[in-house]
Amino acid sequence: MMVPVRCFTCGNVVGEHWEEFNARADEGDEDPQEVLDELGVDRYCCRRMLVSHTDLVDVVSPYQ
Amino acid sequence: MATDYDVEFVEREDREARFLVRGVTPAFANGIRRAMVADVPTMAVDTVRFIENSSVMFDEQIALRLGLVPLTTPPEGEFVEDDTVTLSIDVQGPATAYSGDLVSSDDLVQPADENVPIIQLKDDQRLEAEADAIMNHGKNHAKHQGGVAVGYRHLQRVEVVGDLDEFEEQESQIVRGVVEDDGELVPTSEFDHDLANRYPGKEVRLEDVPEAFVFHVETDGSFTVDELVTRAADSIIDRATELEDAVQL
Repeated sequence: MMVPVRCFTCGNVVGEHWEEFNARADEGDEDPQEVLDELGVDRYCCRRMLVSHTDLVDVVSPYQ
Repeated sequence: MATDYDVEFVEREDREARFLVRGVTPAFANGIRRAMVADVPTMAVDTVRFIENSSVMFDEQIALRLGLVPLTTPPEGEFVEDDTVTLSIDVQGPATAYSGDLVSSDDLVQPADENVPIIQLKDDQRLEAEADAIMNHGKNHAKHQGGVAVGYRHLQRVEVVGDLDEFEEQESQIVRGVVEDDGELVPTSEFDHDLANRYPGKEVRLEDVPEAFVFHVETDGSFTVDELVTRAADSIIDRATELEDAVQL
């Protein structure tokens, strides 16, 4: 649904980087690896949180 | 026992640091690490009263998300365990509710990161809630854990033992952390973690330096690294004094 606030494994706050990552890498045409490096998301546990996330709010919202 | 420890910083930023401590036993190094992770109290939202939640997520899901938002920790002595601070949030859709929308009743306790999305609201959806933040320890819930990915490694000393044969191909020698080269501290990221890059054509040997540990400490924003380490040390002192008093005849 919404991006997790923290990394499940290490507890680092990753939620704040989601919107920029989504705009630049998922919807934009930048290399996800470079975007994550620039955002300072270094560990692979935190990186997978953003790489593997899909926002589902738009999918769910019609079914209230 | 009042021993001074030799501490040297390799990297130092507000939320992330790497420092070398000499003259500590492995047990003490681990004690500090554990204190940083589990024994330094931080503020976090614990109870949420919902006034209106017409978003796509359930109350308890949003309460969990609010709990995970890091809050700044007031200076030591300002708060005791179980004191509460109330934060309120009121966002009307279409909009996204961010951690920065939380309004705190106390200036000392504010969201440390303002851009964490809590919930995306569509037309006519609204989120209004009051959240009580309490001070507690990391051992009770991960949301109260101030230190993130706290760890340490032995300091390693590099010694050049000789030259490689002229036509011998050099194998890469991967090492991570910080190495000591003639008393100079070098983070291994400077040479891409491969000693073959730093000493081409040389044969090198690595050995652990006894009683020297390189800590890598990151915080979630509740406080600075300095604060976290001092508070961890203080918590060890407190418990040691408590034990001493308890076993006194």
